[in-house]
Amino acid sequence: MGKSVRRMSVVAGAIALALGGCGSKHDDSTIVIGVVTAQTGVLASYDQPSLAGFRMSIDEINARGGLGGKHPVKLLVRDTRSDTATTAAAAQELVDEGAKIMITPCDADPSIVAGQVTQPAGVPTLTFCGSSPILPGAVGDMMFTTYPTDNLQAAALAKHAYETGLRKVYLLVSPDTTYTSGLPEYFGKVFTNLGGTVVGKGSFSMNQPDFSVAVTTIRNLKEQPDLIMTAAYEPDFPAFVRQLRAAGVTTPVFGADALGTPTIAGLGELANGVVFTSAGCATPGSKLEAFNQQFNKVTGHLPSSAYEVNGYEIGLLLDAAVKSATSMSGPAIRDALDNLENFEAVTGTITYRGTQRIPVRSVALLRYEGGKAQCLQSVTPAASEIPAPL
Amino acid sequence: MLLQHVVNAISLGGIYALLALGLAIVFSIVGLINFAHGELMTIAGYTTLGALLFGVPFPAAVLLAIATTAVAAMAMERIAFRPMRGASVTSLLLTSFAVSALLKVIFQNGLSARPQPLAMPQWMTGSYQVGNVAIGVGPTISIVISVVALVGLELFLRRTVTGTAMRAAAEDFPVVRLMGIAAGRVIATAFALSGVLAGIAALLWVAQRASVDPLMGAVPVVKAFIATVVGGLGSLPGAVVGGLLLGAIEIGLDAVLPPSVVPYRDAFVLSGVILILLFRPQGVIPAATVRRG
Amino acid sequence: MFAVGHAGCVGNSGSALIMLHAEGIKVRYGEIEAIHGVDLNVGEREVVALIGANGAGKSTTLNALCGLLPTVAGKISFLGTDVTGWAPDKISRNGMALTPEGRRVFGQLTVAENLMLGGAAHAGRAERVRRQEELLELFPVLRSRMTQKAGNMSGGEQQMLAIGRSLMSRPKLLLLDEPSLGLAPQMVDKVFDLIVALRKAGLSILLVEQNVGLALEIADRASVLRGGSIALSGSAEELASSDLVRQAYLGVH
Ligand SMILES: Nc1ncnc2c1ncn2[C@@H]1O[C@H](COP(=O)(O)OP(=O)(O)O)[C@@H](O)[C@H]1O
Ligand SMILES: [Mg+2]
Repeated sequence: MGKSVRRMSVVAGAIALALGGCGSKHDDSTIVIGVVTAQTGVLASYDQPSLAGFRMSIDEINARGGLGGKHPVKLLVRDTRSDTATTAAAAQELVDEGAKIMITPCDADPSIVAGQVTQPAGVPTLTFCGSSPILPGAVGDMMFTTYPTDNLQAAALAKHAYETGLRKVYLLVSPDTTYTSGLPEYFGKVFTNLGGTVVGKGSFSMNQPDFSVAVTTIRNLKEQPDLIMTAAYEPDFPAFVRQLRAAGVTTPVFGADALGTPTIAGLGELANGVVFTSAGCATPGSKLEAFNQQFNKVTGHLPSSAYEVNGYEIGLLLDAAVKSATSMSGPAIRDALDNLENFEAVTGTITYRGTQRIPVRSVALLRYEGGKAQCLQSVTPAASEIPAPL
Repeated sequence: MLLQHVVNAISLGGIYALLALGLAIVFSIVGLINFAHGELMTIAGYTTLGALLFGVPFPAAVLLAIATTAVAAMAMERIAFRPMRGASVTSLLLTSFAVSALLKVIFQNGLSARPQPLAMPQWMTGSYQVGNVAIGVGPTISIVISVVALVGLELFLRRTVTGTAMRAAAEDFPVVRLMGIAAGRVIATAFALSGVLAGIAALLWVAQRASVDPLMGAVPVVKAFIATVVGGLGSLPGAVVGGLLLGAIEIGLDAVLPPSVVPYRDAFVLSGVILILLFRPQGVIPAATVRRG
Repeated sequence: MFAVGHAGCVGNSGSALIMLHAEGIKVRYGEIEAIHGVDLNVGEREVVALIGANGAGKSTTLNALCGLLPTVAGKISFLGTDVTGWAPDKISRNGMALTPEGRRVFGQLTVAENLMLGGAAHAGRAERVRRQEELLELFPVLRSRMTQKAGNMSGGEQQMLAIGRSLMSRPKLLLLDEPSLGLAPQMVDKVFDLIVALRKAGLSILLVEQNVGLALEIADRASVLRGGSIALSGSAEELASSDLVRQAYLGVH
């Protein structure tokens, strides 16, 4: 993911949602984790489930004695209301309050501003599901992405499209965010390398629900595409498919991980055939399925997306890093995280060693049918197939 | 393709016109640009969603949403704006911003922080042929409803006593009161009408985007504001013309601008607006001189 | 030509004939007090003129009486009811009408719509039609203009419309604020003829006029407002022959 909330008028002022943890005394062994997260606004669809999964893993870890078995976690959570400026202010507050590790929203822009606060402070920072591959480079050596990045997702999608016989793609991009502009471009690159063609490219502005011109253009293309690829998400994506289908265009639509939300699933028939990506697939007997059941037991409802498990895995990653860290200083934890290799998480293995703080992990492909996401396959593209960050 | 663009332009412009009219009606009577107008749309969206979830049949859900929005608009006037009566234009404007921000927070914390899917019935999708061009059913319905709403409003304003009083109040409110007509009633009617228009516009808007979210009113209210300024602040025909003009400009630019420039369309739109206002500072169809005693 | 029977009745408060009784009313515009405790009485079937120079506070007084301006002191009672602080629409529904200075017809509305609004809060549709018919007898000029926009008419026609609009409410007391202002001479005569006719029909009138000569001719009593205070009150004859009025307002030296 990599969303922007430009133009959204959002009330400033972070609100402390909750003081997490289990009320443990604030002694030397306790470690404070700051969570600047969008619990309201456009990013809430991604940050809410991420936080739920993260909380669950921290609760489990605290029950085992804390990170690495001996450092109980105290969570400090702030709502950014999906506002970038608020994110920066909240990150500063949390650093001032002693956060030793920071978790940032599911988007590159707020993660970058938060990173600009945490990087000089030497606080290791992980974005929930911000998926821009340029994010760690843009901030510095303290910044990690956790989710399959845009170029990785695009490579997996393009491979799948080509392998299922689709040859001509129409790309719909929005320059408003790196996610909506970059992901389709990565897709186009991989798809062309494989032998497919890009028959056209259109653009849209986020939060402008009128797609009539894009739809009319697609309808009237001389060379009709086999698929349409876009990284639009809610509320733009529902508007787009709604208007596309209303105009009688039945071409399959490919999107990315941001489509894995109840909102899109709730579109029902309208979303039929939409292919998207996820961090993992809950096939019967899989660890992910077991996680989903456990999550259901703890929270009373099944995960709404893969963001829950990704949040959960962040807790596991921190636990492993602290276990192997030489000290509890920020740089030591950072180094330990940066050296994780083939870490057995829930959705598969995760490696940071030698990857510039971008995880190497598998990507799941899913397709909506009748309001349900169905697993197609899990793909781990080879390094040579993943386009370089733009 | 041209015909399709024209249909799309009128359809979008129609929605803007309804929204702009809602702003203009209130402005013409109380001198307030109600920036919380967008939140009235949000209320309409969530009411429809809620009604459908509770199994209310679609037509009834639509009527319920419009009625609820009208009541919400009157409540907004009663609670937030009436105590401010006689305050300066700036204070009223700030009040409306405050109401808008407050409602957004309430929706986010109380209703849902994230978009909720709301698919309109199947018959509203699809297309039909005119000659050899396919025209979308959605835009067509949108145009028809906009026209019906505009005609209905015009009839109300021309044929009813309250409607006539509202036109008079737009010119000279104190004299309307001298006639024995209660100010509260005229103002409440203006807000109710603006609510009805916001409700109808919201349904057309939601039909386009298939989801509702707490911030869904933020963009349309800005468009409506631009449309009213272009048309002439407080002028009802101006609001309609401004809305249609804005829809046409947006669709036109979308269609002719190269794809790489399209996302910066709004900059072009606003430049166009500034240009129009340079030549016609009072808007395309200025309001009748308003005298406030 | 006018029945004069009220000479010597100046300040006859307490009489059963009193319709409007204002006592010590003060009005402020921001920090500035425009009228400083004005007393006024209008009796039944009486025409009272309120005269004074520009800026003396005449319009302020009328606007305060009909509720358009708040009073900061004093008491207004109308038909025996204390109406101090009432909203203008409520006062209107109680039987007092003001034809404001500058006519203020609704220019974008038709003549018919203007008249309709005058009666909207006071009578049902059928009754409004009846009243309108009666009015058109009184204002024949308006009959051919019914579907025209009021803003397109001449000043005199607009003045007729403004008064007609006030009459649609069948007021018991009519306040007229400078009805002859800016009108051509023959229009001024028509307006005054009309006032005489209304008076004959039994209407009580409080008339503000710059045209002091004419006003005193048709009024029973009059008050002179100067600098926001009543300088002089009396019967129309008394005032017409007083030195103050002769010198200041009638131009006689
Ligand atoms: N709206 C207003 N704001 C401030 N001062 C006013 C206003 N209207 C009238 N005045 C002042 O009050 C005084 C009385 O005005 P007015 O009642 O209009 O006089 P008249 O009708 O006798 O010409 C004048 O000094 C005038 O300048
Ligand atoms: Mg005056």
